[in-house]
Amino acid sequence: MEPSDEALCARVAKRDEAAFDLLVARYQERAYRLAWSILRNAEDARDLSQDAFIRLYEAAGSFGGRSKFSTWFYRILVNLCLDHKRKHRWWKLWTRDEGDDRNDPLLERQPAPVVDPVDKLSRERTMKELAAAVDQLAPRQRAAVLLRVQEDMATYEIAKVLKCSEATVRVHLHRALTTLKKTVEKR
Amino acid sequence: MLKHPDTDLVPYLRGELPPADRERVARHLEECPDCRQDTEQLRDLLGHVARAIGQPPAVNWARYRAELREKLEARRGRRAWWWRPAPLALSVAVASVLLFLAVWSGRETLTGADPFTLEEASIGRQLGLLQEYQVVERLDLLEDLDVIRNLDGLASGRQG
Repeated sequence: MEPSDEALCARVAKRDEAAFDLLVARYQERAYRLAWSILRNAEDARDLSQDAFIRLYEAAGSFGGRSKFSTWFYRILVNLCLDHKRKHRWWKLWTRDEGDDRNDPLLERQPAPVVDPVDKLSRERTMKELAAAVDQLAPRQRAAVLLRVQEDMATYEIAKVLKCSEATVRVHLHRALTTLKKTVEKR
Repeated sequence: MLKHPDTDLVPYLRGELPPADRERVARHLEECPDCRQDTEQLRDLLGHVARAIGQPPAVNWARYRAELREKLEARRGRRAWWWRPAPLALSVAVASVLLFLAVWSGRETLTGADPFTLEEASIGRQLGLLQEYQVVERLDLLEDLDVIRNLDGLASGRQG
């Protein structure tokens, strides 16, 4: 039987390297994908997701098991990503970020849908605009939306990751989706 | 006036609401066509957002884990350096020597035989004081109150 994430974390606290490798293998894709969704830069996403694993290794002893391991780990990761965005916000106002994946066409990141070609262009444009609108959301609103749609997290889990109340998460989601709905309705 | 449960709709869609709240929202949706439409639109929108975000560029996971290992080793190496016995002892020794030298040179300055600094000697030459060393020698007499009281008398005696 596979050990639980919580059990592995307890072993990492005792410097069990094999347990750490197993946790990394379990969460590497999700961590990278979530970081990329927040940052929209593959290199930053790789670096920060790795930093989150390093923090996990160093702080494994402080995971008290009061929440799920995934909640605790995503909190580390999301905080790193939001801090990174805050620090680079002013720099990006003055420089054009060559590594930003927003410049990549959306088509390259999605499988080709089997749809009516007449509708295809319109829907692809809507998807592109929707992705851009997600990028424009306030960081915490964006993090709440991504944790909901990508990680399928419940409201109370998102609240623990973002260290706020469930009511605040509901407000974040409501405002974010209201903004995104306007993007879709414009078409 | 109906109170629209705007912020409850997303948790309602996920089935997260406690039973009493779920019933309250469900009753409201039966009576409010706008909220019913909003709920359906939210359901579609959440799906669209998931597709719109897309997937990140592919990663070589073996290289990713190797990089992670390197970063972890580097971090452990940096931290351990400060706590290795040899560098720590060396740092303490150097700090002790510097402290000793600072204290020692301070004491030398206080008890040294030569009271004159170069600056003082330069000023003295300009004022001609050092040429009249005997006068300078006796300047300490001005610290004696009796001498000060009788200065006038000394001056008039000379004139007389």
